[in-house]
Amino acid sequence: MSYRIPERGRVDRSQPIRFTFDGREVTGFRGDTVASALLAEGNHLMGRSFKYHRPRGPVAAGSEEPNALIGTRRGKGQFEPNTRATMQELRHGLQTTSQNKYPSLKFDVGAVNDAAYMLFSAGFYYKTFMWPKNFWHKVYEPFIRAAAGLGVSPTEEDPDIYASRNMHCDVLIVGAGPAGLAAARQAAGKGLKVVLVDEHAEAGGTLLSEPQAVIDGAPAWDWLAATLADLKAAGVKIMTRTTAIGYYHENLIGMVERLTDHLDEVPADTPRERMWRVRAKQVVLAQGALEKPLVFHGNDRPGVMLAGSAQTFLNRFGVLVGKRPVVMTSHDSAWYAAFDLAGAGAQVQAIVDTRGEVRDDLLAQAKALNIPVKLGHTATATSGRLRVSSLRVNKVTGATVGAGEEIKCDAVLMSGGWTPSLHLFSHTKGKLAWDDDLTTFLPSDTPEDCVIAGAGRGLWGVEAALRDGAAQAQAALEALGQTEAAQGYSVTEDRPGTGVTHKELPTDRSPGKAKAFVDYQNDVTAKDLRLAVREGMRSIEHVKRYTTNGMATDQGKMSNINGLNIAADALGKKQPQVGLTTFRPPYTPTTFGAFAGYHRGSHFEVTRKTQIDAWAEENGAVYEPVGQWRRARYFPKAGEDMDTAVTRECAATRASVGIFDASTLGKIEVVGPDAAEFVNRMYTNPFLKLGVGKCRYGLLCGDDGFIRDDGVIGRIAEDRFHVTTTTGGAARVLNMMEDYLQTEWPDLDVWLTSVTEQWSTIALNGPNAAKLLQPFVPDLELTEETFPHMSCAEVNVAGTPARLWRVSFTGEIGFEVNVPAPLGRQLWETLWQAGQQYDICAYGTETMHVLRAEKGYIIVGQDTDGTVTPFDAGMGWAVGKKKADFVGMRGMARPDLVASGRRQLVGLLTEDGSKLEEGAQIVLDPNQPIPMKMVGFVTSSYDQGTVGRPIALALIEGGQDRMGETVHVPMPHRTIAAKVVSAVFVDPENSRLKIGAAA
Amino acid sequence: MNALTSFPQGQEPETLVSTAAVTVTQVPHRARLSLRARGDLAPLDRALGFALPRGIGGVTLGTACLGPDEWIILTDDAAAVMTACAEVSLPHSLVDVSGREITFEIEGPRASELLTLGCPRDIDAIPDGTARRTVFDGVTVTLWRDTAERFRIDVWNSFAPHVAHLLASGARELAAEMA
Repeated sequence: MSYRIPERGRVDRSQPIRFTFDGREVTGFRGDTVASALLAEGNHLMGRSFKYHRPRGPVAAGSEEPNALIGTRRGKGQFEPNTRATMQELRHGLQTTSQNKYPSLKFDVGAVNDAAYMLFSAGFYYKTFMWPKNFWHKVYEPFIRAAAGLGVSPTEEDPDIYASRNMHCDVLIVGAGPAGLAAARQAAGKGLKVVLVDEHAEAGGTLLSEPQAVIDGAPAWDWLAATLADLKAAGVKIMTRTTAIGYYHENLIGMVERLTDHLDEVPADTPRERMWRVRAKQVVLAQGALEKPLVFHGNDRPGVMLAGSAQTFLNRFGVLVGKRPVVMTSHDSAWYAAFDLAGAGAQVQAIVDTRGEVRDDLLAQAKALNIPVKLGHTATATSGRLRVSSLRVNKVTGATVGAGEEIKCDAVLMSGGWTPSLHLFSHTKGKLAWDDDLTTFLPSDTPEDCVIAGAGRGLWGVEAALRDGAAQAQAALEALGQTEAAQGYSVTEDRPGTGVTHKELPTDRSPGKAKAFVDYQNDVTAKDLRLAVREGMRSIEHVKRYTTNGMATDQGKMSNINGLNIAADALGKKQPQVGLTTFRPPYTPTTFGAFAGYHRGSHFEVTRKTQIDAWAEENGAVYEPVGQWRRARYFPKAGEDMDTAVTRECAATRASVGIFDASTLGKIEVVGPDAAEFVNRMYTNPFLKLGVGKCRYGLLCGDDGFIRDDGVIGRIAEDRFHVTTTTGGAARVLNMMEDYLQTEWPDLDVWLTSVTEQWSTIALNGPNAAKLLQPFVPDLELTEETFPHMSCAEVNVAGTPARLWRVSFTGEIGFEVNVPAPLGRQLWETLWQAGQQYDICAYGTETMHVLRAEKGYIIVGQDTDGTVTPFDAGMGWAVGKKKADFVGMRGMARPDLVASGRRQLVGLLTEDGSKLEEGAQIVLDPNQPIPMKMVGFVTSSYDQGTVGRPIALALIEGGQDRMGETVHVPMPHRTIAAKVVSAVFVDPENSRLKIGAAA
Repeated sequence: MNALTSFPQGQEPETLVSTAAVTVTQVPHRARLSLRARGDLAPLDRALGFALPRGIGGVTLGTACLGPDEWIILTDDAAAVMTACAEVSLPHSLVDVSGREITFEIEGPRASELLTLGCPRDIDAIPDGTARRTVFDGVTVTLWRDTAERFRIDVWNSFAPHVAHLLASGARELAAEMA
């Protein structure tokens, strides 16, 4: 640990922690990150770059890190790729691995790409992999896929749990640096709910890296500790390890809290991460600023890093990133980094500044520390294989770059100035304003209740940040009715500063050969950006996509502004005219687990089950999902496959009696003096004269005249209808009805109540259905005379109050018994027992589909597709001819809906007795040239039914006028001829519906 | 209209989870009626024997106002309520929904926090003795706040297992947080 400096940093030296990096054991301290622990042993090399496989080390110390991405493994299944080594805290037993290397980090075969870099310029893929065309699928695409991506995807199921919560607060402060802390102090103690969040393991932000500052007389770290204690005492909720990832409408902020990745032992029932959805009345964004790299040849070599980050590694972690560093800067801030490192014993080789003049006090302090200073210089190269060993600098005079001079070093600390962190502000659709002096975008207006404070709006220095934090927070508090002066702060040993901004630094060598990196993670150089402009890209959005600048997982935190400056220079335009790419959530890479939260495994999505579902499960049902419901599809006996089981269920139902769980049908109770008028207006059929105790089939259309839903509607009383809908359509139909009621007909005295789940619905179908049911309905004679087809009644069934319907979706004698939901299973078992004498058969949705198709009954959504009118479906009989109006009436009168040649529902019987494929296209002439004219398609097709041969329903142009004609269904290996027939295959006279008439 | 007066199951409270943070119990069924009406409600007040709460969220004698024209009535005698209202000439809708949903009672020092796992409303801002329709983990529920630390949620039968699952895992998560 030769790079660890005693008495520096905030790590806990009493707690050594062992972890592994590429299988090698490394020891750090509690409070270290993987990056700081590796740097403490002098190791900068942590990964290989994406495209050129160049050796890379950390360039930053925080979440903006583009290079030091590692794999982390905490246990079985707990592997994560692309973890930023600068954010991953140490814990006992942590296993870490470098990425993108083969066979080893120090010797990588893919680095041959680096030597061939001239081939891999911007737009390389677009240009190179064009020819020959047939190479794409077999050669290029697999190669690119294998080579693409960072890290390795996890292969095991993640055993961790993830959580989410909602939170409401008065003031949310994002960022716990000086501005955020001052904002929290300003808001605290006023009876408001104040929340302060920071993505790092501890609050403090810049203060953690600048212990020399003295705030209101107290050393920075003492002031920080006291302030945090005060805030907690005042009830401020302080959340560390919590990243605000996105800012959404109406002050909704998404935050991810990392709960256990830093713990040696994870307590039971404790989630790894928690997604917070925070609704804040006011938001203070105090996210600070990100330091910019300088763009010069070799600026990516391990050991080249941001000066401010080197200062952080020293002051927060007690780690010297180099013993002989050289500073290369265009901003005052890096001078202080040099002073700090020198103060910790480093031999600073030189401070090289691109500016011709700098402040006298900086020069004086450099002189006092014996640090050589070079002003007006550029950097033109670095050397060193896996670690920087020298920096080449050149004097610049006007436009002339002088001779190069090598400065030996073991680290290069660079600073190209600072970019305000505007990501969350941009999520609010906040406007940005270009500031020429600072050469950066600053926040302007936002539609959200949000202020931005401190370095995030271009202010520099601890005092400025503190004062602005208080002032901006006060502005937000005014909106909450709090009037008070903003607290004042005075800071000594502060480090205010300024700087200049550069495009890529000038060089005496060929710029065309420079590997001056702008986007480290995606290996985009300044040369690539200029090439993109030369090749015609004008907008920054196009330049970005052509070069991939800013498209890596760091979302251009380091590269966007440098990229913009270079593109603007190449275009000869001002930066705002070239534009800034859009920031999108999440702010930093976020685990899928955090987004999924509790929604995994059995809790992935709601699975709705009926009261009878458990019986079906006990009796071996195979299920299918219908909307959110799971429904029994068929009940196989031992050895049966679906076809066999369904064939048996169909036959048994037609032969005697079948029992079916229809509880999932949507049910809406329509009540009020205007109930009949309302139902009459909604459905195509006439309902005004439907008698109490009668049912009628109803078709529901949209305004456009196309079928939306259907169901049977019973009149329970003069002012009460029981409406049924399809299973999947229940919520949609209720919404549609409410929409009409509230917006079109608010004058009607009628109300809608969802009773889908009030009732368990058991359907009995078959010639013996009435015989089975009669003993349980002593108060009602189930005969053709007293309770004919399409009747309904409120009676007791097996001693339970019920709504009994005489309806049929099979063509057999049919009843639907509705009992209060919790009693459904009991009644089912009663009927099941009693039905044994009739060889009762439980059937599922598949048999229901087959039996209804044999009768030509449509299923909305299967035989209709949103473009089918009642007339197309052969159900013109369901449209009331004398009705004054109903939903869809005018739509149906449109010329194209009454034109001839529309697709109409018909039956099909294949000539060779084969079963057609649902969805298969239909043509009239199989010998016509391709592309053939398709006149329709198969909507339903079954061969398990009782007709004795496969049947199909199809929509065919002018189908109802083609009865008896032969049409053709081209399939991959043959064409099947089929005869157009009536859609009713069984009992067209409906004689089987009559009690006493059937067998 | 025929009313259901007894249920064969759910007569005993059933504890789903009990931790130091919160206890979740499925409570026995009660008769539940959905009432809809608008205009001068005095005739309904007289028939019911109490004044319907007028403000959304208000609760009077087990009856909660859930919307501008909507109330949910919890009662031990659904038939009596129906009979009384049948005579009211003010247009209204009274629908028995006793079998539609079940009720979980959530009680404990972290009961309010448990609800934040699935409900986007500001739970702390809900006064005691009120009720409202809201969502929990994407499921429509009626949320009653009886006291600072005791809530009830009514949820449709088929959504109940999903809601119960999150309540149970949340109760354990909150207990772990307290440890």
